[in-house]
Amino acid sequence: MKKAFVAALLILTAMPLLIGVAALPPHGDPDTPVHTHISARYLEEGREEAGADNIVTGVLLNYRGLDTAGEVTVIFTALMAGLAVLISHKKQPEGDAAYDAAEAAAEDAPVRAPVSPVVSFVVRLLAPFIALFAVYVIVNGHVTPGGGFQGGAILGALFIALTIVLGRERTRTLMPRLAQPWMQGAALLTFVGVGIVGGALTGYFLGFPADASLHLARKLMMLVLEAGIGLGGAAVFATLFLQMEAE
Amino acid sequence: MISAVDIRNAVTVVLAAVGALFFLIGTIGLVRLPDFYARTHAATKCDTVGAGSLLLALAVFNGVDVSTLKIIALAGLVLLSSPTIGHALARAAHRTGVAPWQARKGRTS
Amino acid sequence: MSAVFDIMLLVFLIVTALAVARAKDLLGAAILFSSYSLMMCLLWQHRGAPDVAMTEAAVGAGITTVLFLVAIGRTTRREK
Repeated sequence: MKKAFVAALLILTAMPLLIGVAALPPHGDPDTPVHTHISARYLEEGREEAGADNIVTGVLLNYRGLDTAGEVTVIFTALMAGLAVLISHKKQPEGDAAYDAAEAAAEDAPVRAPVSPVVSFVVRLLAPFIALFAVYVIVNGHVTPGGGFQGGAILGALFIALTIVLGRERTRTLMPRLAQPWMQGAALLTFVGVGIVGGALTGYFLGFPADASLHLARKLMMLVLEAGIGLGGAAVFATLFLQMEAE
Repeated sequence: MISAVDIRNAVTVVLAAVGALFFLIGTIGLVRLPDFYARTHAATKCDTVGAGSLLLALAVFNGVDVSTLKIIALAGLVLLSSPTIGHALARAAHRTGVAPWQARKGRTS
Repeated sequence: MSAVFDIMLLVFLIVTALAVARAKDLLGAAILFSSYSLMMCLLWQHRGAPDVAMTEAAVGAGITTVLFLVAIGRTTRREK
């Protein structure tokens, strides 16, 4: 009975979806609204207008900058929610004592098998190259596929690998305590900052100056945005990992 | 008359064939070998030599180019990381007490 | 040829998705989910969206797997 109900529910859900998919225009059809409405403009003038050779970056940060700001807010909120869940179940003293208590708890954690020297060596050997690649992905997001989100994820993964290999004592210096909240909110803060600068230049929040003479300013604003997203993303992943590992 | 392009193509084909062969053998080993250690061994071979020589084939086929440098860097990364992963897996298994397969006891897994 | 590749990837995608849903071993499910992300990444790349493919590879196959593993390490490995 229950199985029949589930099957019926599945079929009922799948039918409209499949009908909807079947009604979609063929892939690459030039007459669809996607291709006739606004894409052409992006593709023809995007490079000059948005200030990025990679059109995807141009659309993400310039034309649809506000949407990306919203996305960044969502990620930040998710981090806050995750932290709230992770921290709330243990009673902690306030302020500095809380931090010390968490650190002490982390040090008292059951001793694990020591990290293999081979793994440690290879991670330490590759770390500078991974960091270089992450920065390349962030900065070169203008020209080639990539950008803040991708590079930030690579940076975060590097931080996690280093923390596993070297221990949190050594990597703590990479994310000093005072800088932590600023790093976690870096993406959002950058968007607000650049948005206000854009507002001063154009009159719209997150507006990018359109004059040809301000080409450099456009590029700079995008670079700052990318760097902020990268740093913020990396900090979000690193914080989540550290909080989940603490204990 | 054998031209340089022919030689390059031949080298590419040989390297790619070696890579594909190693992937095939490694995958068969992954399915057929009896215990965790042996399977890790097979999988590591297939990643290291298979992916390495496929990447080298691509590099040779591409000729002298910036992309070739990137492919060679990738091959170096694979050559470094894949054996490390195999080592880490086997070590973790050993430390958590996964017993190696022994012929006399029959199938343990 | 291109369509064949797409179909192969899609079949793999569906198989891994079903396997994740059916797996009782959460560690196995996390690894399977990582391979699901890898398939998705290849599919994005093949459909001409390298930006999304990079995100999928870095976030989906990389970091979420690590976070899943940490979460499993702190809870239990078996689904109850």
